[in-house]
Amino acid sequence: MDTSSPAALVNAQILNMFVGRRVRTVVQVQRNEGGFLVGQSTDGHQLTIKSSVDVPVSHFMEVYGIAENSQTIRAEVCTDFGPDFGEILCAYGVCLCPFYHSTVN
Amino acid sequence: MYGGGGHYDGGGGGGGTTNANSLFGGGGFMPSQSTAVPESSGGGFSKGRNAQTLLPLTVKQIMDAAQASDDKSNFAINDVEVSTVRLVGRMLCKIERVTDVSFTLDDGTGKIDVNRWENESSDSKEMADVKRVTDFNDITHHFLHCIHVHLELTRSKAPMNASTSTPGNVNQVRLPNNQATTFSASGNTAGNDISSLVMSAFHDPAVINLEHGITVEYVIDRLKLPEQEVREVIKGHVEVGNIYNTIDDLHYKSALNG
Repeated sequence: MDTSSPAALVNAQILNMFVGRRVRTVVQVQRNEGGFLVGQSTDGHQLTIKSSVDVPVSHFMEVYGIAENSQTIRAEVCTDFGPDFGEILCAYGVCLCPFYHSTVN
Repeated sequence: MYGGGGHYDGGGGGGGTTNANSLFGGGGFMPSQSTAVPESSGGGFSKGRNAQTLLPLTVKQIMDAAQASDDKSNFAINDVEVSTVRLVGRMLCKIERVTDVSFTLDDGTGKIDVNRWENESSDSKEMADVKRVTDFNDITHHFLHCIHVHLELTRSKAPMNASTSTPGNVNQVRLPNNQATTFSASGNTAGNDISSLVMSAFHDPAVINLEHGITVEYVIDRLKLPEQEVREVIKGHVEVGNIYNTIDDLHYKSALNG
């Protein structure tokens, strides 16, 4: 049993509280700058994800990793959540945007 | 080493994780309020059909409950006996054998060993069903479901508490705090809440690793609570050993992370 390194679910605003620690978040990929991805956080800020994983632009991506600073996460695991993550929530009239993303394309 | 390929899996019985429509339909996953109320006032948790309830849980909830219980094969969360649970997380270190499949499930709140076909290990969970997550909204849904069920079960305790606390405190929000059991209760509901809030301020991820801890003023400012009461609560925590002075008389730190 290991609860020693839980990954805190963060957005950009509270990322700086977890610098140096393991975090988990979802971003919408905006661009790939070779070796790192720039994505929009759930609260609308830009986060840099150090990762070699190639996730298509506009896809939502979950990131497990270490917060290097208040804008950068060194990814350990990236999961492509696809281009329409979160849409079903709005389809059901439930606004959960503060939990995961600010806009649905 | 992520031997399992990092796939998301939902474990548990009876719940279809691939059909979001069925999940949103309500289903039968919410334990009814009656199951949460102990059948007798003598303590313990109710048995019977509760054991068949499928509870959406996080790994941390299971770990906390398992550590609090002496009986490793039988424990309760929010006074509901836990039998079949539903977890959603990443599958790690999957090992397939002829007789069993074992892996570690990491849902972000912790990791837990999962076995199928064997339940000999007291700290492992016997897996009833496992499905790969194909709709990633199910992950969001699972954790919201966990929050919802947890709130339902903790709220349903309020009428039960009415007999033991003053009526004015019944509607007071009782923050679930796992540390609440680690320090002595004052016998006063409101006192316990301030006590829990103060401890939660010390356990905030932003401060728990600060070498010098935090000051009383920080706690007062953070919680926006009356200074005198916060000072008394902190003094009480120091006396029972939950928090301690660090570099001087002004800085305190929780003993939790020693």
